[in-house]
Amino acid sequence: MKVLLVMKHRGDAGNTHAVANYMRLAPRFGHSVAIFGAPIWYVPELQFSTDIRSFDRVVYIYESELYRIERMNEAVILAKFPRQHRLIMDTDGMYNPVVVVDGYDFNHASEAERARWIAHLDALGGRIMQTTMAPPLDPRVQAMAFYGYNPALQMPPSASPAKQFDILHVGHNWWRWREVARDLLPAFEEIRAEVGRIGFIGLWWDAPPPEGPTAGPEEAFRSDPERFRRLNIETPRAVLYHDVIHTMSTARINIMTQRPVLRRLKHLTLKYFEIFCADTIPLLMLDADHAEAVYGPAGRELSLPGAVARKLLDALRRPDHYRAVVEDVRRHLVANFSYDRRVEELFAVLQD
Amino acid sequence: MKLLLVTWVDPWVRSVSTVHKYVAAGRRQGHDIAIYGEPNAHLPALPFTTELDGVDLAVFVMQVAADFPDMPYLARVLDGIPRQRRLVIDLWGRFNDTIRLEHDFNHLQKMDGHAGWEWEEAFQAVSDTILQPTLAPLRPNVGSFLFHGWDPGSVAKPYRDARQAAAAWGGKAYGAAYVGSNWQRWEQVRRFLEGYAPARERVGPVCLAGWDWSARPPWAAAMGIMGIDTDPTLLARLGVEAHDGVRFDEVVGLLGRARFAPVIHRPLFRHLGFVTNRTFETFYADSLPVLMLPRDFVAAIYGEAALTLVPGDSIAAYLDDALSRPAVYWDAVLQTRSHLERHHSYAQRLQQLEALAAGGAGAGGAP
Repeated sequence: MKVLLVMKHRGDAGNTHAVANYMRLAPRFGHSVAIFGAPIWYVPELQFSTDIRSFDRVVYIYESELYRIERMNEAVILAKFPRQHRLIMDTDGMYNPVVVVDGYDFNHASEAERARWIAHLDALGGRIMQTTMAPPLDPRVQAMAFYGYNPALQMPPSASPAKQFDILHVGHNWWRWREVARDLLPAFEEIRAEVGRIGFIGLWWDAPPPEGPTAGPEEAFRSDPERFRRLNIETPRAVLYHDVIHTMSTARINIMTQRPVLRRLKHLTLKYFEIFCADTIPLLMLDADHAEAVYGPAGRELSLPGAVARKLLDALRRPDHYRAVVEDVRRHLVANFSYDRRVEELFAVLQD
Repeated sequence: MKLLLVTWVDPWVRSVSTVHKYVAAGRRQGHDIAIYGEPNAHLPALPFTTELDGVDLAVFVMQVAADFPDMPYLARVLDGIPRQRRLVIDLWGRFNDTIRLEHDFNHLQKMDGHAGWEWEEAFQAVSDTILQPTLAPLRPNVGSFLFHGWDPGSVAKPYRDARQAAAAWGGKAYGAAYVGSNWQRWEQVRRFLEGYAPARERVGPVCLAGWDWSARPPWAAAMGIMGIDTDPTLLARLGVEAHDGVRFDEVVGLLGRARFAPVIHRPLFRHLGFVTNRTFETFYADSLPVLMLPRDFVAAIYGEAALTLVPGDSIAAYLDDALSRPAVYWDAVLQTRSHLERHHSYAQRLQQLEALAAGGAGAGGAP
């Protein structure tokens, strides 16, 4: 089966890394996967195609933007794939009622925006899957993990780059600031003298996107570079998806945050799994129950909320203990979240 | 017949006038004709609908990429109306190999982002029946359907005979008026103006109404798009009034303010033998059409009488002759109007579409 993915593809964000895994593993199951569009020179390993008629199924992958391709191309896709051959992957919980978390993060800014999304996805039809661990709020939606763990990408300590940071956060500043400012920075202040370099690698930690309000709500990109400067927190440039694990491996500890609305909806993201491929100690801004639900019982010990400063110092002081915890989690991920399973699941759904 | 026109209508451009004629003709003949989409406050006379139940034929009227509906309407119409009840009318010759003539083209990726193969795939995605407004499509798998037509009720001043028309032909603000935007027409307009110049004092000033006649637009210069040229010095020397475009419902009235109204087809359409809305609409105006078109095309579309309205080598001599013998030319106009009514009425166009609907349009049939 040849599967065409319609998605916004960027080398430094989004679901590109997950899709690369599907592309890599699909041939093992007799399938192939390509993204609709022209090749991108700086990610030559990703397969692209505009030969719509040569594919058997189409999967639309949506994040927070109602991504559109040109109408003429859309017409060809719609004519080629009947509704039952279209699958919608809703990775950011957009096919839901309006969900606002603490008056801050939200999936839709208004009912009107939500209606636009629902109309669009309903018109596309097919099946709608959400990348959530929880039962979807809408009965028409099914849950599907979609993201997975690829042990082959695990960075062995012997090949790991030298540790440059004590603490690193790899990810863009998209609805992260409130949690960073409220929970992480006070902890950093408390222990700053005992910790080496701290870095936040990703976009928009220094400034919002240059394109202005069209990029999204101003609040989503809020940051305080001066506060970072006072804490001597570095903000290196964002890296391409294939450098994420290597980059994470340059730190003793990596902190994983998740935008509030996705955490509320129990959505998985790529970062849940990438971070456990790195040669690092992942510490998670997830409560212990949530961490256990994804990572197994060992995950509880990596939960940060309520104990950020203490846990950071503990991990720096007892790395061997935490490495053992990480190994437990990795075993759980291999057993439950391998990309082989994900690929089988996806193609089983598409085969139906 | 329940007919759905799938296209983007804009009061200022393209086929909006023809779409109005279909709606009116449909009402007269008991057809239910609507435009697919939400109501447009600028076009109150057009019925819009998103209701797809019972549609006998969905006609995709294609000129630019935006004629394909946006989502979610695109999915609804393609999923909601079976392929055999859909057809494409390719008004701009997209469904051909790439053609370059003078500066004109049917595909140009740097202009609209789409290569020729995208147009082909998109049209074929909609239907197996692709029609073009020419008597002789280049491709064997394309049918002929002129789409634009003639509505006798739209004639501004329906004269009893040529003598009456000639007698009433005076008191005009302009000697000649051309309504249409500067899009791949400059060379022909320039030739017309240069030929017109010797007769200007006797005939009257020229009016050009449309976008970009006064100056080459910056976007065209930036993109390196030719065919939107102009010559402000020439226009000033000839005293040409260049105005912005007018709404579709002001075109006939404006043309009627001039003694003569040239009919000019862009190079691509001349090559393909395409008709346009203006091919017919100019004959509604209270003005003498000057057919700047190939004689064989004129004879085939307008009938033999219309050959009188094709100037020879000297446009000025032609205009002078019309001034001295207006009844001769008006007789040609009235005969041509009669020919158009017999051969190109919207009633006939609708009969052709009805036949297509009955035969399963999407199966590749052609009228």
